[in-house]
Formats: sequence, structure tokens, C-alpha cells
Amino acid sequence: MDRETLVQRIRSGECAGAELGAVDLSGCDLSGADLSNTRLSCAKLSGCNLSGANLHHAFLDGANLEDADLSGANLEFAVLAAANLNRANLTGANLQRANLVGTRAHEARFDGAKLYYSRPGNGDFQGASFRDADIQRAIFRRANLANADLRGATGQANFDRANLEGAQQ
Amino acid sequence: MIVRHFLLDVNEVNAFVVGCPETKEAMLIDAGAYDDAVAQFLKEQGLTLKTVFITHDHYDHTDGLGEYVTHYSADVIASIPKVQGHKVAKQVKHGDTVRVGNLTGTVYETPGHTPEGVSLAFPGCVFTGDALFAGSVGGTASEADKQRQLDAIRKYIFTLPPETQVHVGHGPSSTVAIESRYNPFFV
Repeated sequence: MDRETLVQRIRSGECAGAELGAVDLSGCDLSGADLSNTRLSCAKLSGCNLSGANLHHAFLDGANLEDADLSGANLEFAVLAAANLNRANLTGANLQRANLVGTRAHEARFDGAKLYYSRPGNGDFQGASFRDADIQRAIFRRANLANADLRGATGQANFDRANLEGAQQ
Repeated sequence: MIVRHFLLDVNEVNAFVVGCPETKEAMLIDAGAYDDAVAQFLKEQGLTLKTVFITHDHYDHTDGLGEYVTHYSADVIASIPKVQGHKVAKQVKHGDTVRVGNLTGTVYETPGHTPEGVSLAFPGCVFTGDALFAGSVGGTASEADKQRQLDAIRKYIFTLPPETQVHVGHGPSSTVAIESRYNPFFV
């Protein structure tokens, strides 16, 4: 299937729950698409517009989401472990109960995002912004939050052995 | 293979429906509460719930069992003879297999969080109950129990193919590759 046809099928909601694997959709506009329960492990999604997309319980482990727009996306229960979220925009995203274990998210924006009960352990969030985010029960065990901006973040999170050097709280 | 996750209204616990697309037979994995969303999903997919598999005997994984058994006449599968007063139809031990239509799952002992804890692996996914979580493990009563749990996970879960999806009792799912590489309890 060519890339244009796949994008059309995704936008029409036909691919929710599908096994798409390591597809290359970098730079595509998938805003508002229903990709719930979809397997996108190691997919190339850099620069993708996924704002407002439904990625509930999607598998995005190892995916490249560098510079992607995930603002307002539903990522509840999504598996973003070991994904590349460098400079991604996750402003206002729903990341409740999301798996962010080993995720790289340098200078990513989580402002106003809901990270309740999420698992960002061993993740690399250098310079990321979590302003006004809900981090209640999030487990940042061994995460790198050097120079991260946590001002206005609310809730009790677990920062056991996390690197908070230079972080603003 | 059909796999669908449900967040139940008790203690943030997960439940999963596994379905065979060919025979339309289904299994529920853990039953912390009865949930209409499970019933609706079964109906929408045309699935018949044949069995309920219990990973371990904690209330947040078993309290809804009676209602599923009553509604669906489902058989209970567990590693102990009785759960919530319900006689287990098939008591399983390490290495046993269970069927969901044409699908075959293998039981692995993963004690530690509880003595009777088991995981259930199908090709492509494993259900670990409270033995293993994304980036964490289930709580244990002693250091010896913790070591048993970590050893069992290393021996039986981390040796599954790396792309195997790991579906857990609480919190998000993961993969074998991710947990064996990044879980702070193992690295």
C-alpha cells in the first residue's frame, strides 16, 4: 500500500487496532486520527501532526516522534517506551497511565499534560517542560530531568534516584 | 488474535479479553470487577466467554469473578483449587497449556507478589498479573520473595521473544525488549 493511501485509510479510521509496525509516515498530517489499540512499534513519525489524535493503548515503542505535534492527543495507556520524543509537543496531551520507560524526550513540551500514574522511569527528559502538568503518582525512577521545567506541576510523583540537576520546581 | 484491555473500577486494575478470531471463543484474564464495557465488547465482537483465568488470588483481580461465572457460565482457570468460593475447573501449574479456541497459551510460575502467582503467554503477548509492571514489579513481603519474583521474570518472561507485548495487572502495557532493557528493577 502506498503512503498516500495509508494516510487516507488512517484518517478515515480504518486502521484503528491494526498492526502497522514500522511504517514511515514522517511529516504526515494525522491530526484527529483514530489510532487506538494500533501497533506502531518503531514507526517513523518524526514531524507528524498527531494533534488531537486518539492513540489510546497504542504501541509506539521505539517509534521516532521527534518534533511531532501530539498536543491534545489521547495517549492514555499508550506505550511510548524507548520512543524518540525529542522536541515533541505534548501540550495538554492525556498521558495518564502511559508507558514512558526509557523514552528520550529532550526539550519536549508536556505543559498542562496529564501524566497521572504514568511510568517515565529511566527516561531522558533533559530540558523538557512539564509546566502545570499533572504528575500525580507518576514514577520518574532513575529518570534524567536535568534542566527540566517542573514549575506549576501538581501531584506527588516518585523521583527515586532521578537526576533533577538544574531542574526548576 | 483478539486482545482488548479494560481498566476496571477497583484499585486501578486491568483486565483483558483474549479472543480467537476463528472460533469466537474468549477468555477473560483477571476479574477485579464486573464491567458492562467487557460485556459490550464481547457482544460487539460476537465472542463467547468460555473461561476466566486468574493470575493471582487478590481481591482486585477476583472480586468480579462470581458475576462473570453467573452471566456466562464460564469456567475458572487458576493455580489454586478455589477462587472466591468458586471451584476451579482447571487447576494449572508451570508448563501447562490452556486453550482459547484455536489459540494456545502457556502457564509460567511467577511467584513472589503472591505464592500462587502465574503468568500466561500466548504467541506475541504475555499476561503477568502483578508480577511485572511497566518499569516496576509487584510488591513483595520479603527480600526472598522479591528475589523469587525477579528470578522467575528473568527466567520465563525475559526469555520470550523481545517483541512480545507484556500486559500487566496495573498501569500500562510494555514489551519484553523494553522491560529487560530499561526496567530499573533489572538493570
